[in-house]
Amino acid sequence: MASNENRVALVTGSGKGVGAGIVRVLCRMGIRCLINCNSNPAMAEENLKRIREEGGEAFVFQADVSDPAQARSMTEAAVERYGRLDILVNNAAMQYNLFVDEYDEALIRKQWDINLGGYWRMIREAFPYLKESPTGRIINIGSVHGKRPTCFDAGYAMTKGGIKMLTREAALEMEPYGITVNCISLGGCRIEFKTGHPPFHSYRPPETRNPRMRPGVRLVEPEEVGHLVWYLCSAEAGAVTGSCIRIDGGQMLK
Amino acid sequence: MKNTVVLTDLRTREMQDAAVFLAEQGYEVRTVPESVCLWKEAELREWSAEFAGELAGVIHPAPPAFLSPMLETTEEEYAKARNEGPMAAWCTAKVFGGIMRAQGSGSLIFLGSIHAEKPVGRGFLFSSGCGAVQMLSREINQDYGPFGVRSFYIQRGPGEADPDLKNDLSPLYCGLEKRYPLRRLPKRGELNGLLAFLLSPAAAPLAGSDLRADGGMTMYYGERITEEQAEKLRRHTPGAEGGGIIGFK
Repeated sequence: MASNENRVALVTGSGKGVGAGIVRVLCRMGIRCLINCNSNPAMAEENLKRIREEGGEAFVFQADVSDPAQARSMTEAAVERYGRLDILVNNAAMQYNLFVDEYDEALIRKQWDINLGGYWRMIREAFPYLKESPTGRIINIGSVHGKRPTCFDAGYAMTKGGIKMLTREAALEMEPYGITVNCISLGGCRIEFKTGHPPFHSYRPPETRNPRMRPGVRLVEPEEVGHLVWYLCSAEAGAVTGSCIRIDGGQMLK
Repeated sequence: MKNTVVLTDLRTREMQDAAVFLAEQGYEVRTVPESVCLWKEAELREWSAEFAGELAGVIHPAPPAFLSPMLETTEEEYAKARNEGPMAAWCTAKVFGGIMRAQGSGSLIFLGSIHAEKPVGRGFLFSSGCGAVQMLSREINQDYGPFGVRSFYIQRGPGEADPDLKNDLSPLYCGLEKRYPLRRLPKRGELNGLLAFLLSPAAAPLAGSDLRADGGMTMYYGERITEEQAEKLRRHTPGAEGGGIIGFK
């Protein structure tokens, strides 16, 4: 793959979890990164320390993507620091793990404003810089629950169904500028902790599990997602746009 | 017998026709008044309380489609689309789904759009809302299905009265009539029979389904052939007489 030493990426929600794995991989490949966090700056600093120990270049910026002003100032901070922006990875999302009737109006609206509104705002803010890049890339981290229901979080699945379509629309709108837009449909991933309640109360009933299957599921590692992002950022992936690529260890086949 | 059907929005001629048709089928049709805000749960809950134990089903249409270029859309336009699209659908699902769950039966029908899967081109607010509501329908089937509630999402194609979404990024709305195998846009009332079927217990095996009701228009790939190429093919197709090539006459 092509060298990316000069490129710059902004990865939302990258202080921990999937986003943290993505920035670690991108930094290893020589891409300079803005690490965005909102609620947990200590974990973001920890991730930055790990990246610097590996020789990578990054910095932490705390911002809430549901706030238009913060979305703008974060984008400007990346450009001010590194002089350019080539890659936007939209990853910041909330997952509350609540049934339909456990959500209230305020909570479901907040989730929409972060999970979907935040992705749109960041695309809008990053666009002026991405269009100047020879390999402008937008990668939206979606979920297998943009297709298959969760059985434990209707609000989350709604936002992921929305992100699938946001990606397709963005791919059409960005194509004239040479910017590719793709979605990664992520399955169960090994992360530190989730923002919501664990979905143990509603997950697949025991009698629906095949007893001959090996126990447990093959969780995706955050850095495995990072390597897929890295591929999508490469020049070799220039023809891949508007796609939803599933990375779930085969869970959707079961 | 549970006999009441609620239509959440009667502003379109299509839904007005559906109301007349369903009334003719013997349903008591009720419409959410415009004074009740569909994305305010408390208002909807108060208005709907009288239907407990009587509800055969609810039909919730998507708001009218519209263009919204991603880089020009304002925060106000975003909030309006969020409220009228996914938030209104969620409130409808929670309030009416809760009533049907308590009574042990009922159909929740989201009359949506092909744009839950197919992009408009400069229409992200509408299509992302549709994609979200399609997932909501699937989730309702999981949450409320065990209590007798059937949920459906109809991917409706553009019809006669719909806004023209022609744009410079996607050819989807160009030559729209020719994209339909019947060579015409769907007419008002042509989905009424489907709505009545989905309200009935006979639709139980389809619970949780997305039903593409677009007259085959999204199967169209005729734009790959130019008029000139089509004419050439016609001349070399024995017996075609100008009608041998699908999509060009």
